[in-house]
Amino acid sequence: MVLTNQLDKLLMKVEKPGRYTGGEWNSASKDLSGIKTRFGFAFPDTYEIGMSYLGLQIIYHILNKKDSVFCERIFAPAIDMEELMRKEGIPLFTLETKSPVKDMDILGFTLQYELSFSNLINMLDLSGIPFKSAERTKEHPFVAAGGPCAFNPEPLADIVDFFMLGDGEEILPEVCEAHESWKMSGREKEEFLKTLAQIPGIYVPKFYTPVYEENGTIRSIERNYEKAPLQIEKRIVEDLNTVDFPEHCIVPFIDTVHDRAVIEIFRGCTRGCRFCQAGMIYRPVRERSKDKIKEIAMSQIESTGHEELTILSLSTSDHSEIEPLVQELMGVCRENNVSLSLPSLRLDSFSFKVLEEIQGYKKSGLTFAPEAGTQRLRDVINKSITDQDIYHAMEKAIELGWSNIKLYFMVGLPTETFEDLDGIAEIARNITDLNYRITGKRGRFNVTISVSNFVPKAHTPFQWFPQDSAELFHKKHQYLKDKLKSIKGVTFQYHGTEVSYMEAVFARGDRRLSDTLIKAVELGCKFDGWREHFNYGLWIKALDETGIDPDFYACRVRSFEEVLPWDLIDSGVTKAFLLEENQNAVKGSQSVDCRRGCIGCGINQRVNCTMEGTL
Amino acid sequence: MSRYVIKFYKEGVLRYISHLDLLRLFKRSFKREGIRLQYSQGFNPHPKMSFAQPLSLGYSSTGEYIEFETTQPYPPEEIKEKMNRILPEGMGILSCEELPAAGKTLAAMTNAADYEISIPCPEGGNIDIIQLVSAYLSQKAITVLKHQRKSGKDVEIDMKPMIHDFAGFVDNNYIMLHCRLSAGSTANLSPELVLSSFCSHSRISYDRTEVNIKRKEIYFDS
Repeated sequence: MVLTNQLDKLLMKVEKPGRYTGGEWNSASKDLSGIKTRFGFAFPDTYEIGMSYLGLQIIYHILNKKDSVFCERIFAPAIDMEELMRKEGIPLFTLETKSPVKDMDILGFTLQYELSFSNLINMLDLSGIPFKSAERTKEHPFVAAGGPCAFNPEPLADIVDFFMLGDGEEILPEVCEAHESWKMSGREKEEFLKTLAQIPGIYVPKFYTPVYEENGTIRSIERNYEKAPLQIEKRIVEDLNTVDFPEHCIVPFIDTVHDRAVIEIFRGCTRGCRFCQAGMIYRPVRERSKDKIKEIAMSQIESTGHEELTILSLSTSDHSEIEPLVQELMGVCRENNVSLSLPSLRLDSFSFKVLEEIQGYKKSGLTFAPEAGTQRLRDVINKSITDQDIYHAMEKAIELGWSNIKLYFMVGLPTETFEDLDGIAEIARNITDLNYRITGKRGRFNVTISVSNFVPKAHTPFQWFPQDSAELFHKKHQYLKDKLKSIKGVTFQYHGTEVSYMEAVFARGDRRLSDTLIKAVELGCKFDGWREHFNYGLWIKALDETGIDPDFYACRVRSFEEVLPWDLIDSGVTKAFLLEENQNAVKGSQSVDCRRGCIGCGINQRVNCTMEGTL
Repeated sequence: MSRYVIKFYKEGVLRYISHLDLLRLFKRSFKREGIRLQYSQGFNPHPKMSFAQPLSLGYSSTGEYIEFETTQPYPPEEIKEKMNRILPEGMGILSCEELPAAGKTLAAMTNAADYEISIPCPEGGNIDIIQLVSAYLSQKAITVLKHQRKSGKDVEIDMKPMIHDFAGFVDNNYIMLHCRLSAGSTANLSPELVLSSFCSHSRISYDRTEVNIKRKEIYFDS
């Protein structure tokens, strides 16, 4: 069944119909007769957001390269479209063939942020697929998930059939091959899941049952299939230069959040910030070589016609060949009338030189992330920026004519006191003073202080810490607001406490939350990452009706002995290391960047760590 | 520096691509085919390229025009061939011609446009479309309330001088309306306004989502 005709009528009524048409350059079309595995790649948010995500292009490319696999895209319809689809009885569909999602063999979601979980469930609903894996039959696709939030998969354990951990380039082709042979065999669904459980990096939650203590914590996690692994090791691409990277990327017709050519220059990060989940779960650092990056850049520009090119990583300046790389990319871009954009640069003299060259008169804002207001707290979180670094960079920026500066901080970090908040205000004041000293003027200069609320994440040294209570967050926001109010030229922004609270519940939740998620969706929760759609009252109702105390997950101090819901998942970084780092944090003792010497996170027991001790 | 005009069609899913999206698509198509566009000078250079008249979202067309300047001459046939190779399904170049280097823009010369509107025939109704059209056109003035964005007020306007041609017939259970309307910067009339005014005058009810509008041609001052 293909839905093209029914869709046409709807598209006349909705906002941005180009979200639902497909047919973009470089999108795939295949003859279904030779296809053994129809893979629906689902992004639990709208088209504009999903199409800005590089992982989609990578996975789409890797899967469609296989002759027997057809990967099609599925996005969450916007509210207006969803309403019409429900009214007209049109199920959720794929962009490539407008097939109902139900026709897929595997429906694979990417989990980029916890607050997209409700959209995942809502998308199952729109597809006519039962929420719980136990309720689905052979008529339904397998529901799979991957991405950073799969590192604590438990809140979705009753819903998702299997999780894929680590690099998709490694694991996805194997899943599809296993699916093809299972399909030929004609055996029961269970058999496929049993086969998958033998593939490294795959977690099948139904093969495990947590046993709880009376106080609600986990006593143990029991296996109920003897061949299910005791630890699920994430998959790692060892050499980025040998895996395929998409050069013929899909080019959206409509404007998306990031509408540009993107090249990932390395995966992982050596800095070891203790709050950062990405910095832990994407280890080790694996670089793409300068020549390979350049080759991809040229090919992407040619095959997409994009007018902007950007490079992606967790910390741009840390690429070992960054200076020649940027110089050469600037050349490629200049020749092709393409603008180069360089995110997350460390503000050193090289960066300023480059920014000056590519931005010239059009100086966009400059952003900087000290994360904490005092040296003490920065030591706690292992953010190796000093006050001197900050002021030095700001001085340079002001001299070169930047007049819009944005600084990112977190509140609610472990051990934080009000003195640390004073530190934030002091930095803001010192920067505006610095500007006055250099330019002699106070007007037309703005420092934005953007504050997010700390959310403790699984697989980080801070995974045992509680999140601040809502009251404390409010008090801290108010305190900062009062302090910053008196400084001319400072704008203060902060995130909603309730959103961060829900994020904290699901970031370290267990599988008792599956029912809560389903309840929340039934009550109408969706697009929770969007401020205008997030409905705290409904979440509280869902938690309440399913008998869940959210503070148990968000605001409780966990003991080091406690069995954590994600203990089965092995990111390659050992628990012993996380514990040691937790202790170092409390002591305020810094750990070095691993390029200065190995700090023993454990990942080099699994794979070769090429950046170790290179500085 | 050379200047060209392309005539193209836009149909199928590409009806849902907006004016700005279309501009970007052309920009990228030229880039992919190595046709070097002339860029404007200044702080924010952009390629010299513009449409004769924007096409509303949802309309198809068999007569759209875009003009552009290139840094070097290309044979018009080569431009047509290259662009037809790269444009997505639903779009294609019908012709390409060189324009004199200096001259008014197409937008400034746009004067009228032909539209074809199709509406499903109301069920069970026997429609004498010829009679309805002639009754509609025999009005002394064809007034309509038009919302003015600047003042925020609804103003009554007489559309009659802007309707150059208007004919209707029934084909295969569809009412087909063919009209030539003023277009461009001096006077511009939307086919939707004519459609709603004609249908209310003729007591024909319709569902907007069942209506298809196609622009067939744009006319220019010579």
